[in-house]
Amino acid sequence: MPTQIVMDHTGDSRTYFDAKDVQARANAEARFKKLVARGFTAAVRTQAGEVTRVTAFDPNAEETLFFPRLVGG
Amino acid sequence: MLSLRRPASAGRLLAQSVRRLYEKFSAENTREARGLRLLRDWVTPAQWNQLETLGYFEVVGCDTGKRYRIYRGRMTNIYEIDEFGCLREGWCFVPFGFLAAGDVMLAQKIALETSESAALAVANRFLPRRLVSRDRGHAW
Repeated sequence: MPTQIVMDHTGDSRTYFDAKDVQARANAEARFKKLVARGFTAAVRTQAGEVTRVTAFDPNAEETLFFPRLVGG
Repeated sequence: MLSLRRPASAGRLLAQSVRRLYEKFSAENTREARGLRLLRDWVTPAQWNQLETLGYFEVVGCDTGKRYRIYRGRMTNIYEIDEFGCLREGWCFVPFGFLAAGDVMLAQKIALETSESAALAVANRFLPRRLVSRDRGHAW
């Protein structure tokens, strides 16, 4: 089941959704857009294990990871 | 006559087992443990093996092809390395907010592998120091 993983102070928060459910997919897309608008970076893993950055919602991605914007340390 | 009471030793063993189970669950469910599990799931097996054995893992920048070493930790833990594997200069950037070390290292890896220039644009540079002590062990 597709999962959206958001890094946060608890470690991470996960939201699962059914890609075949129109409403669930719309909610997931809205969540994606909201996080990206807040400066989060979204990334997915390919089958080969490579990580790619994504800027558009992909309902078929098994896992989409979000991390907060980067700042100089 | 049969006694329906459980022997005291059995009750004690049960209590100990429950306590151990609770302690194990608590230890595995901390934010640091969750961050490390997420990191393990997203790095390559070779990178995870490096991290476990050497205390760091290496990534290749997507824009320049340069190699970087990400040490265990949250800050001042990224070093650019040359073709001989020597540390050149340090880069410091972190995801905003107080995240677990595993989460920070994962964000740093993804940033360097997918948007190296943007990551370095916000990073602060620092000169490599404490190299010997860092290479000897894990610096959390």
